[in-house]
Amino acid sequence: MSDAVRLQQEDFSQDEEIRALQACSKRIGGIATFFGCARDFSDGREVSEIRFEAFNCMALSEMQRLRSEAIERFGLIEARIVHRLSAVKPGDAIVFIATGAEHRAPALQACQWIIDELKERVPIWKKEFTPQGETWVTPHP
Amino acid sequence: MIEVLFFGPVAECMGTGRLSVEHRPGLCLDTLREDLRARYPEAFALVSIAAIDGAHVRDAAVELADGCEVVFMSKFSGG
Repeated sequence: MSDAVRLQQEDFSQDEEIRALQACSKRIGGIATFFGCARDFSDGREVSEIRFEAFNCMALSEMQRLRSEAIERFGLIEARIVHRLSAVKPGDAIVFIATGAEHRAPALQACQWIIDELKERVPIWKKEFTPQGETWVTPHP
Repeated sequence: MIEVLFFGPVAECMGTGRLSVEHRPGLCLDTLREDLRARYPEAFALVSIAAIDGAHVRDAAVELADGCEVVFMSKFSGG
């Protein structure tokens, strides 16, 4: 079984991630997921490709910390976080988060919390390629 | 020596992902940042986050050890 927290080049399977999470415990009654994918339009420009750069060791350690904090803060049974670092085209997968709890409320709350915190705390930068040129993305609120 | 790393927009502005800076006793993060800001104002206008040896640092007064690795970063845009 793959690690619960990963940075990787290759694509991932949402089904496999959910199966891996569910395999941890039959006590899980609710699973929430977030799937982030590449858009073809951003800030008024058509996007043909997105590339990523990461400070890998800190990015992975922060993602692991997010998982641990989420489990404790929301009483989760398990959580998984995967972020790709390869170049992606519109529609391609970028990030996946799955949270499992006994009940739906903590799973849903934790899932949103993790992606919100990931955007603030994990050292990954995104560059969009458009007909007008390439631009590093300014974080959205 | 202190290894200073840059990524993403800061590295692009710097034209490099890495600099070596001579350590001196009592050198703190804030002083290093200001020294580099004076030399690379455009790049350091983007810097809002720092890490030492892989860990996020909020106390700019922290003293830097010889041989440590410092990273100056802009706001993240992952996810």
